[in-house]
Amino acid sequence: MGWVITMQIRLAGFGGQGVILAGVILGDAAAIEGLNVIQTQDYGSQSRGGHSIADLIISKDPIYDLIVTKADVLLALAQLGYDSTKESLREGGLLIVDTELVQPDREFTGAPFTRIAEEEVGLALTVNMVALGYLVAKTNIVKKESVEEAIRRRVPKGTEEINLKAFRIGYEEGTK
Amino acid sequence: MAKEIYTKYKMAKYLRKEALPTALCPGCGGGTVLNAFANAIDQLGIDPRDLVVVSGIGCSAWIASPYFLADTLHTTHGRAIAYATGVKVGLPDKKVVVISGDGDLAGIGGNHLIHAARRNIDITVILVNNFIYGMTGGQVAPTTPFGAITTTSPYRNVEHPLNIAETVTSAGASYVARWTTFHVYQLIESIKRALSVKGFALVEAISQCPVQFGRRNRMKTPTEMLRWFQRNSVLISKARNMSPNELEGKIVVGELVNREKPEFTEELNSLIEEVSKHYGLGDNNAD
Amino acid sequence: MIIRGDEPEQIELLKKMYPKGNYFMQGDEAIAYGALFAGCRFYAGYPITPASEIAETMARELPKLKGYYIQMEDEIGSIAAVVGASWTGFKSMTATSGPGFSLMQENLGYAIFTETPLVLVDIQRSGPSTGQATKGAQGDFFQARWGTHGDHPIIAISPTSVEDSFWETIRAFSLSEKFRIPVLVLADGIIGHTREQIKIPDPEEVEIVYRKLPTSDEEAKYPFGDVHGDLIPPMPLFGHDYFTHVTGSTHKENGLRDVYTPEVHDRLVRRLHKKIELHKTEIQKWEEYYIEDAEILLVSWGVSARPSLGAVMEGRKKGIKVGLFIPKTVHPFPGERIKELSKNVQLIIVSEMNLGQVILEVQRFVRDEVPVIGVNKIGGVPLTVEEILKEIESSAERSRHRSAD
Repeated sequence: MGWVITMQIRLAGFGGQGVILAGVILGDAAAIEGLNVIQTQDYGSQSRGGHSIADLIISKDPIYDLIVTKADVLLALAQLGYDSTKESLREGGLLIVDTELVQPDREFTGAPFTRIAEEEVGLALTVNMVALGYLVAKTNIVKKESVEEAIRRRVPKGTEEINLKAFRIGYEEGTK
Repeated sequence: MAKEIYTKYKMAKYLRKEALPTALCPGCGGGTVLNAFANAIDQLGIDPRDLVVVSGIGCSAWIASPYFLADTLHTTHGRAIAYATGVKVGLPDKKVVVISGDGDLAGIGGNHLIHAARRNIDITVILVNNFIYGMTGGQVAPTTPFGAITTTSPYRNVEHPLNIAETVTSAGASYVARWTTFHVYQLIESIKRALSVKGFALVEAISQCPVQFGRRNRMKTPTEMLRWFQRNSVLISKARNMSPNELEGKIVVGELVNREKPEFTEELNSLIEEVSKHYGLGDNNAD
Repeated sequence: MIIRGDEPEQIELLKKMYPKGNYFMQGDEAIAYGALFAGCRFYAGYPITPASEIAETMARELPKLKGYYIQMEDEIGSIAAVVGASWTGFKSMTATSGPGFSLMQENLGYAIFTETPLVLVDIQRSGPSTGQATKGAQGDFFQARWGTHGDHPIIAISPTSVEDSFWETIRAFSLSEKFRIPVLVLADGIIGHTREQIKIPDPEEVEIVYRKLPTSDEEAKYPFGDVHGDLIPPMPLFGHDYFTHVTGSTHKENGLRDVYTPEVHDRLVRRLHKKIELHKTEIQKWEEYYIEDAEILLVSWGVSARPSLGAVMEGRKKGIKVGLFIPKTVHPFPGERIKELSKNVQLIIVSEMNLGQVILEVQRFVRDEVPVIGVNKIGGVPLTVEEILKEIESSAERSRHRSAD
């Protein structure tokens, strides 16, 4: 996917999947590159299990909207997240899903992110980083290195390496 | 005449002359509490410049505000202790004293009372308990005795009063005592101890309101009320051996607790020292 | 030790902790950092969505700067402790959202009447009552103005972006300190939880304002007196041997209660109002875009100002003569300027996330001379450029028809 002036990205899942952290890291990476970026979120009151959505608008121009109006990219890590956000993906937009947890009713790409996190990274919790790696590889929205720097800044101390590993595995998957 | 009294009264030096005479009714126990407080300050040799007195709303809140000559903060109803918390954090070396009533501190402001005791912040609270909302005309309070008559319990009070001193003790205060305005010398001694303790200290001063409480409960004069305090008070040492039934309607007086515990502002300041040293400008963390 | 924020040690600490540069952070965090740069070293609060990140940031950062964070048992206690700390000399702040803002109103009134500098941040969320806790709104505009009882002046500021939140919080402290009045920061849950880039400046680039103190014992005798002719009394802080008396009852210039003399109350309350009126030009702030030849004037504030600017630019691209006015100080409301601008426009549109609040102020100033319509949205989702543009376009269309008739 080539760079356009503005890209609207929506990440959707359920609380506990780390969707918002993935959004923050992607936003931070864009900020590191000097792009304009707005990142917002929408979540249920419960910390675990409710819906969880992270929105990003990344642009070379000033940004005037605060929420994703028509997503260019939708990443869905759970059926719940997909069902509640699928209408926001524009026609011809890129849909990325966890292929074992989401059954989309339109054209999509993706991989079994949760299983990859469990089996290849060894920690299911890193599903957000696996999926983020995949998304970055598919979209080229920011450089791989910028995301890696953002991961080092944003993940809890002591978990940098496993998160980076997850991101790289996801990125590899996305280049396939 | 008033002028003459104030010049002869030794404690007058602690009062704001321009604010006198006080607005307290004749026979009110508030004057006794003010006198006891001034004597405690005098006997301890505390410079009023090292005092901040905070009060809420009601007759008892007027005891020190504006009459006591110190920095005085007369706040909103029930919130004196919360205001005092900010003052104490800002001026940890000063003595911060709250003087206010039962309705104010234990009714509408009860939550602040409990939590300040839990934090064990170094504030001295003199809670003047006259069993009634006096300033508003004698309505039933959370401290009104069971069966008492007030303007909003005109037949009789069907609620039981809150044991303030016991509640504050359970919440974790360093020092708690209860006396009545009949026990003036004991009251002075307890206020002195409360001021000297490092931590949250409460002195509950049971006080007469002949106008709004006594009058409706067969004690028309201040003397009758004081006599009731005298007859009805039980020393805590004796009360420990009495059954709840025997204690019904009695006033348990004495020192409920006097214990050393970590104090809030000291803990907070040592935390800040620790954190600021770790992150600060020193060489120890020049990375 | 009272810290004002401009001590050399504090400047060095700020530089070390938050080096000048680009950061990616939430509006809530930007407010907290703005407070730290302004010299706020006392914070008392109580958790509430969507303002909790302010408390969390202050709890984490204040001790590094030798400042105090305390968590109180409720919002009533929070603002009470803030008032108490302010009288000891600390620049003090609390932050909350709708339900907590409601609880704070009584002590906010106390702070106004006792001329206590403090900053109160309201991260507006959808109400009434518990409403939508995690969603933003702009429904507290009039509560900010009239939430506490009685005649009173107030200053309220509303930031429009994350970076703006940093600078406007600093301005809130400056105004509060300078004019001895609580200042409200009316942000909202959307800006509060939005992350974007902000440039953190060198601390030297931030103007530090501290309240006027008495210069003599004589001046200190009048904590509420106009001793300098600017209607702003110097503040005799506690702990300085002044024997200051402060009360929320009506008081004389010397601070002593006098609730009986009508003239005393009249004099005090009128001075409080005149104080803000006299310094209004310094207090008010607004932004204007494309207003020179505007035929349609869009008025918007806070979070809605940003998509409004986007809509104005899109409208201009389509040849519509539309301009934008953004009040940054929302109280005292800069209605005189809107009235001035209204003389050259055919229509005013007010866009906001409520069912019509600022629009009432606009209507009050322009009377019936210009039609005023609203673009209103509730439910927690911000207005979009497209939604506002649609209203601008249909309004332009209508007025074209009218002039063709």
